[in-house]
Amino acid sequence: MYVEVSNVKKSYGEGGSYVEVLKGVSVGVERGEMCVIQGTSGSGKSTLLNCIGGLDDIDSGSCRIDGLEIAGLRKDKLSEYRRDTLGFIFQFYNLVPNLTVRENIEVCRYLTKDPLDMDELLETLGLKEHADKFPSQLSGGQQQRTAIARALIKNPKLLLCDEPTGALDSKTSRDILILLEKINEKYGTTMLIVTHNNSIKNMVHRVIFLKDGEIAKHYVNETRVPARELEDL
Amino acid sequence: MKNPLIKRIPKELVAEWHKYAVIVIFMVLMIGVVSGMYVGHDSLMATINAGPEELNLEDGCFELKKKASQELLDDLSKGDMADVRSYFIDKGTKEADEEVAKAIEENLNEEVTKAIEDAVREQCLAFGITDEQMIREQTDAALEEKLEDALEEARGSEDFQKAVEEAYSEAHEEVVKAVDEEWDETAKRYELDEEGFVPVPIKIYEHFYREEAEDNDNDGNRDATVRIFKSDSAIDKAAFIEGRAPETDSEIAIDRMHASNAGAGIGDSISIGGRKYEIVGLLSYVNYLTLHESNTDLMFDSFGFDVAMLTPSGFDRLSSRVHYEYSYKYPEKTDDKIELADRGNRLLKALITQTLVHDNEIEDFLPEYLRQASNFAPSDIDGDSTTTAVLCYVLIAVIAFIFAITINNTIEKEASVIGTLRASGYSRSELVVHYMTMPVIVTLFGALLGNVLGYTAFRNLMMSLYYESYSLPPCGFVWSRTALVKTTIIPLILMFFINLIVIVKKLQLSPLRFLRHDLATKKRSKAMRLPSWSFLSRFRLRILFQNIPNYIVLAFGVIFIELMMCFAFGLPDSLNNYGDKASEMMFAEYQYMLMSSRDSDNEVIETSEETAERFSAKTLLFPRNNDAKKMRAFGSGKDESVTVYGIADDSSYVSLASEGTYISSAFSEKYGLGAGDGISLHEEYENKSYDFTIAGVVDYDGAVAVFMDRKSFGERFDMDEDEFSGYFSQNEIKDIDEEYIATVITSDDMAKVTVQLMHSFGSVIDVFKYVLVVLAAALIYLLAKIIIERNEHSISMVKILGFLNGEIGSLYIRPTAVVVTLFAVAGFAAGYGLMLYLFKVIMLSMDGYFRFFMKPVSMVLSVVYLLIGYALVSVIDYFRIKKIPMDVALKNVE
Repeated sequence: MYVEVSNVKKSYGEGGSYVEVLKGVSVGVERGEMCVIQGTSGSGKSTLLNCIGGLDDIDSGSCRIDGLEIAGLRKDKLSEYRRDTLGFIFQFYNLVPNLTVRENIEVCRYLTKDPLDMDELLETLGLKEHADKFPSQLSGGQQQRTAIARALIKNPKLLLCDEPTGALDSKTSRDILILLEKINEKYGTTMLIVTHNNSIKNMVHRVIFLKDGEIAKHYVNETRVPARELEDL
Repeated sequence: MKNPLIKRIPKELVAEWHKYAVIVIFMVLMIGVVSGMYVGHDSLMATINAGPEELNLEDGCFELKKKASQELLDDLSKGDMADVRSYFIDKGTKEADEEVAKAIEENLNEEVTKAIEDAVREQCLAFGITDEQMIREQTDAALEEKLEDALEEARGSEDFQKAVEEAYSEAHEEVVKAVDEEWDETAKRYELDEEGFVPVPIKIYEHFYREEAEDNDNDGNRDATVRIFKSDSAIDKAAFIEGRAPETDSEIAIDRMHASNAGAGIGDSISIGGRKYEIVGLLSYVNYLTLHESNTDLMFDSFGFDVAMLTPSGFDRLSSRVHYEYSYKYPEKTDDKIELADRGNRLLKALITQTLVHDNEIEDFLPEYLRQASNFAPSDIDGDSTTTAVLCYVLIAVIAFIFAITINNTIEKEASVIGTLRASGYSRSELVVHYMTMPVIVTLFGALLGNVLGYTAFRNLMMSLYYESYSLPPCGFVWSRTALVKTTIIPLILMFFINLIVIVKKLQLSPLRFLRHDLATKKRSKAMRLPSWSFLSRFRLRILFQNIPNYIVLAFGVIFIELMMCFAFGLPDSLNNYGDKASEMMFAEYQYMLMSSRDSDNEVIETSEETAERFSAKTLLFPRNNDAKKMRAFGSGKDESVTVYGIADDSSYVSLASEGTYISSAFSEKYGLGAGDGISLHEEYENKSYDFTIAGVVDYDGAVAVFMDRKSFGERFDMDEDEFSGYFSQNEIKDIDEEYIATVITSDDMAKVTVQLMHSFGSVIDVFKYVLVVLAAALIYLLAKIIIERNEHSISMVKILGFLNGEIGSLYIRPTAVVVTLFAVAGFAAGYGLMLYLFKVIMLSMDGYFRFFMKPVSMVLSVVYLLIGYALVSVIDYFRIKKIPMDVALKNVE
């Protein structure tokens, strides 16, 4: 397994405000797979993603990525892990407002010695003509594509997407999903996508349902539907 | 119902306590210092202003060459001019009459004697007597018998009466002619021919003093010159800070400031004129608030000069010459400077004429309103308070702008909340009030605490600064309304309006714009293309562009701080430079000004000192605001005192390239004058002016002076060729009687300005430098905090992406570091330029010249100190960046 999560527990708060968000979650994802993590609000899906991304530490259990145990890693090692291995895409893009599209992408190109070709990426993502604009001058879809380009420029082995289409309309959502699909095929990037959207599960290789901090359902999708054919986005 | 938003205020205060703590400390310090300054000022001024009444301050004084007769004092008290012409005609006539009578009597006696002798000889020869011995005997007998009768007969003759009348008449005519010639010149010089002269009655007080050598440590060496007055003086009395007035001949009270500098106190003994005295009192004379030895001194000298009090009999025991100083008071008090000047001018005329007719001479005349020793301190205290207040307002304005930027930033961060509140029905003014609350609360708190400190600690600090420099009387406590207005009302108004304008402008936008986070007042155009530098450099450049308003405020703050740095480093440097160059600023090691070029026997005063060289000198006035180049001066309006020198040909001391008029480099620099410019100098007590065209500049920074050769000087000022004013000499001249020497100037005298000022400000200046570092750090801290807060989200995001803290620090700290460094250098240049300008303005209002100077190392340190302040902040910034959690980006829910 490329991503191996074993019996991960995570809680917040103390006393009366104590909440156990992950109650011993175990899950695995193969290299090159697209995996959707679904669940209701508060089910722990974003927490699981953050733990895998090294953004949050776990209380117990194990979290191995490509054989590297990230539980208990020092902060600088976690930073190294994120910069070498991961790409992040968020619902609200998190672009640096005072940098242009190109410069936002360069933020991550700086972190790798072997980046993808910037122009090709801009072309692929349809951002070429917006390269010198600031995020505030772009539409939501264009901003999300910039965020994707920023994540992809360093050709990450693992792409973590937290509600990537959560703030987008249906058409733009489809475009983004087609893009993710294309990237997965082209670069073999392993993707973990946290989403509320019920349709997205149809395009991925693996689906995990979380409920109240536990795996409610976990299966490999044998009948994948291409992103462009997804309904009810 | 109270606006529920008010609940945010305490929470905000707790959450952002560091920021508000810095702002409050900043404001408390500024307001406290200014408040302390004003309270101290008002307390001191109340004491100083009460002094003239309580201690019977004179309205002026004059010194006479010898003790005034009672008649002179009576006539002077009336304040009228004497009829000098009549007096001298009467006097001349009397003298002439005596001489004529004497001459007539001698002549008559001679003539009659001769006639008797001739008659006896003739008779003897007729009788055949030729023996001279017999003739002599006959003549003596005849003279004894007939001379008196013959004289009597001759006196009664008509011819004799006629001759006598003619002789008297001729003598009287000559007297009138001589007196008229002399009177015309004097009357013209002092404008004594004024018609309708209004007398200026005065009450005169004896205020004699002696000057003696003071030996503070009884080691036999002179440490200072002490001016001693009698303890029973009815005028210009002293306030005792400690101890009491002397009661026995061996007791003395000396100036408190001087005592402090000399390390002397009550119970110590000092030697005055070779005698030991016990110090029983430390005093402050009402007319010596600063120890100016001479009214023309650029600076007082509380080290080398002292004023003291002895009992009248103790005073009489001293052997040095008595200075016959008389103080006067007008019966009617006035504070009107014009009226005072008019009274002074009229009194001077009365004094000139009355001393002439009473056979005395004026040594000095000084109306009180021109007296440096009593006016320097209050005017300096006034000036300091005003300057400090202006500096305080600049800083408060900077703080207000920082506040405004912070609030602007908060509004941007809270845009969606504001949009929602506005959409829910909150009015714009309710939100304005909400966002205005914090700056108002902080300013009020700062002002309150600042005022409390101002009335306590800072007042004492400020007063101690003045007590370290001036000989001030003991001071009470005075409530200051000025302090309240200037340290509370004005800062509050500044803070209120600057913030109000910014907040109102920001909240003008529609609720929808807030909900969409669309707060840009103008649409963003296409991004500026950056040079093809490395990505990190371009990233930093973008951060820099993003924070331009912060950096503009920072620029003002840095210029202000650098200006203060220039002051803090430049003042001691300038003083030290002046002290170091004092000897270079002298033409010669010794400059002797003589009372006259001739002694009492009308012999030219000579010296055997080989290096001595005669010079002529005259003091004229240069109009400050109406010079040849029409330069506007900002001074008091009083004219600049200029010494005009007549220099010997082939002088060893001053080299003049060719004939013509030269000015000193100090004169040139002070008024921007150069070769070819014309200047007009005029007499102080005479309506006479002299025009000169400048031929060149002599490198002499010691004084505002004009030079020409002695021949030209004599021609110009109508002086005889053998007349001169003094000697330049490389060695001490020992063969000229001290009574003929008016003053001796050595390099030590030039350096006393340095010693005094370094003592007054030296230790404070060092503290001031560190305060500036803290101020700089506080300012940059507040602005850098805004920059990081503004980019908190991006910082959090790049952390998620894998950037290390060091890399993020280099991205977000380095732009500010570069800007601060650039601003520190540019701010120093601006501050230095500003300081040069301010120094020039200050110098224009004073006599003399003092060049602002900064050592290169001080220039570097001025920048380095600010950077040290920034270095402290950047360390804090680094930890602040380190503390920003990744949650900020993760929890972004727009």
